[in-house]
Amino acid sequence: MTSQTTSSVSAPPAQEFLRLQGIHKRFAGVHALRGVDLTIHAGEIYHLLGENGCGKSTLIKIIAGAQPPSEGEIYIQGQRVAELTPLASLSLGIETVYQDLSLLPNMSVAENVALSEQLVHHQGRLARLFDRHALNQTAARALRAVNLPADADFLDTRVDELPIATRQLIAIARAIATSARMVIMDEPTTSLTQKEVDALVKVINGLRANGVAVLFVSHKLDECFAIGGQAIVFRDGEKVAQGPIQQFTKAQLGQLMTGKQLSQERYRVDAQLHKPLMEVRALGRHGAFEDVSFALRQGEILGITGLLDSGRNELALALAGVEPARAGQITLEGQPLSLRNPGDAITHGIGYVPEDRISEGLFLDKSIRDNIVTTILRKLRGKFGALDAAACQRFSTDTVRQLQIATPDVDRPVQSLSGGNQQRVLIGRWLAINPRVLILHGPTVGVDVGSKDIIYRIIQDLAQRGLGVILISDDLPELLQNCDNLLLMKRGRIVRRYAVEGLAESELFHDLVSEQSQET
Amino acid sequence: MDASTLTRQAADASADAPVQRRPSLAALLKKNPSAFTLLLIVLVVLTVALINPAFFQLAVLFDIVRACTTLGLFALGVMIVLAAGGIDVSFAAIAALTMYSITKVVMTWFPETHIAVILLAGAVGGAGLGVLNGLLVDWLKAPSLIVTIGTQYLYRGILLTFVGTVFFMNIPHAMDSFGKLALARHDTANGLHAVLPATVLVLVLASVLTWWLLNRTLMGRAVYAVGGSLAIAERLGYKLRSVHLFVFGYAGFLSGLAGIVHVSSTRLANPFDLVGSELDVIAAVVLGGARITGGHGSVVGTLLGVLLVTLINNVLILAGVPSTWQKAIIGAFIVLAGAVFALRREK
Repeated sequence: MTSQTTSSVSAPPAQEFLRLQGIHKRFAGVHALRGVDLTIHAGEIYHLLGENGCGKSTLIKIIAGAQPPSEGEIYIQGQRVAELTPLASLSLGIETVYQDLSLLPNMSVAENVALSEQLVHHQGRLARLFDRHALNQTAARALRAVNLPADADFLDTRVDELPIATRQLIAIARAIATSARMVIMDEPTTSLTQKEVDALVKVINGLRANGVAVLFVSHKLDECFAIGGQAIVFRDGEKVAQGPIQQFTKAQLGQLMTGKQLSQERYRVDAQLHKPLMEVRALGRHGAFEDVSFALRQGEILGITGLLDSGRNELALALAGVEPARAGQITLEGQPLSLRNPGDAITHGIGYVPEDRISEGLFLDKSIRDNIVTTILRKLRGKFGALDAAACQRFSTDTVRQLQIATPDVDRPVQSLSGGNQQRVLIGRWLAINPRVLILHGPTVGVDVGSKDIIYRIIQDLAQRGLGVILISDDLPELLQNCDNLLLMKRGRIVRRYAVEGLAESELFHDLVSEQSQET
Repeated sequence: MDASTLTRQAADASADAPVQRRPSLAALLKKNPSAFTLLLIVLVVLTVALINPAFFQLAVLFDIVRACTTLGLFALGVMIVLAAGGIDVSFAAIAALTMYSITKVVMTWFPETHIAVILLAGAVGGAGLGVLNGLLVDWLKAPSLIVTIGTQYLYRGILLTFVGTVFFMNIPHAMDSFGKLALARHDTANGLHAVLPATVLVLVLASVLTWWLLNRTLMGRAVYAVGGSLAIAERLGYKLRSVHLFVFGYAGFLSGLAGIVHVSSTRLANPFDLVGSELDVIAAVVLGGARITGGHGSVVGTLLGVLLVTLINNVLILAGVPSTWQKAIIGAFIVLAGAVFALRREK
């Protein structure tokens, strides 16, 4: 605090562009940002580093005006901004490349790149003429800067017809199309080739030379070091370090991001592994993952991790029959399985708890009871094939008790529960089918610490009862605390296998973010 | 093993052959979804003409154009709402309420009102009711289908309860002469005359205006942006409320005009009229390449869709197709168009 005040009094080396003071953000049950102070200077590059769930994305959304902070003040060029809307943020010259790219799939490349300029120019007023000529000129200039073609054909192409890497470059082109003062890039390089990344680095250096501040979010530390600038490290919603990135080593940054892991209790103790349960051989789906082989024993908790583009999500969907694999074989207790749809997986006793419980899993406005019994309706049939209401009630009440779901009764809609309790309803549903294998995909995303603890205990209890559990997650402490074995995926392949007992998080983190690793 | 490989190769080889021919058609459809609509139109015209050469007459053409007018005005409004990711089913109720109320007011108090004023009143009244739809959609954050199902009952209820249920067999003088005004006249061999009504000018002007709004203003681009993704458009700084008010207000504006045109050309103000035309209109818009999920739709495509539905409704009879079959054919075309558009998306 004091250093900031003095630096703004005595002439600072670069002009202050953005200052955040005491920013808090609370979601239902989650305290995502806990009093963040941050100053961004013009013409400087910042690397926002931290594990998933540390508050980086929330911080970006606040700066971009997509979400208001719960508490705290925002200053831009020394002026307090009372309410930062998306349009206000854009008008002040803050451009964002979102992780999901935020491109409009039905519109042309030129419109996606350059329409914002006209919108901002007219301060969001829509009763204005649309200037296609200016649109094409601005778009062409920005596209050339990121080495994309700028001919009329390409400008007119609809974005949903283009491959993902091109879309990523288009999102970057949009950010630099206008006279931005600050550009935020949230993992802009995930689907880019080395050559494209090099071009991007050139773009970033050009921006810096023009006095634009760049806030860069990436898990690829090598890239961050290559670009240079300031490192800002976040952990659990707080800024834990800031300084020139060259003053840190990779190991130090890893340590700062993960924190002291010594105190973290391992949930996995006295694991009893039994006979082999599931075997996966040379599983593949073109463009998603290739040659994936592993074995899972009864009572084993197997972790699978990797960055967003590693193929871990696609593998999870293949094991659950949602997006079936095209090559390879899955056997369950020696029987070859054919998983063509989620129904096949359920029939064979493979339960899948999806990552996005809202859109993929729960019927939010239905009761807890209905959500729990939905996979076993056949079993709860009474006379004349109608549902046995008493059996439904009994079964769901038992599940609620067993999984410690905090609710007065099972009639409440699922959306009235907190994230952790929703997640437990979803797990309860899959326990209903008496699964032999349970696949948990990011089971604690958006879940508070207390609920995490309960979910981990449930997972351990399931393994104890002889289930095979596959835990797919990018939460490294979670994997280290819960798993027996761990697979690391990159570019669709398993690159390393670990026995988790005694594995240090810093080592795992290093492998996760390093560019080249070979299967060992 | 070998056999299966061979059959697979054979299958690949045979699959290659049509792929060679297909790109041209597929590319055409991709660039211009209304090409498919045009194809269906040509198909219908050729079929009818082969069976009954009497089809190729100026009189038939004039009839089709006349029949297109009201449907076309409605369809342009629905298309712009669909492009913004919503749907409007209250347009017929808006038209009925405005046309009947205005006819009654003009008949009772201002019988000498000029047609321009009447058209303006219809447009303003319709736009007002449409804006109410937009406000409800925006305030309630409710699906526009539900909101407009609600308001269409509301508007119709208001009409029948408070305005009246009696037919006006005599309509105001200005509307009557507007309906009779001819752009072109053609005397047929058998002594009848075919007339191209001036009311069609309203559709022409509305089409030009809609095209201009969609393609030459920021609002038009915002309509497609919001239709592409509401959440992303909001994040990019588009004002959702302005877009909602605009699209529903504009659809209401066109419905109000359509109501006046309808009364003028049928020379009858019937408060029970226009009910049930909703699905015909939505069918025309969807056949014209707009997607029910939003983000797509063009003026030219919509007009082609309107032409197709009108042809089926009006000229199949010339080919001896019983009128009961027209619905089945429209239905089959919609399913076919749905399949073609879905395939186009897959690629």
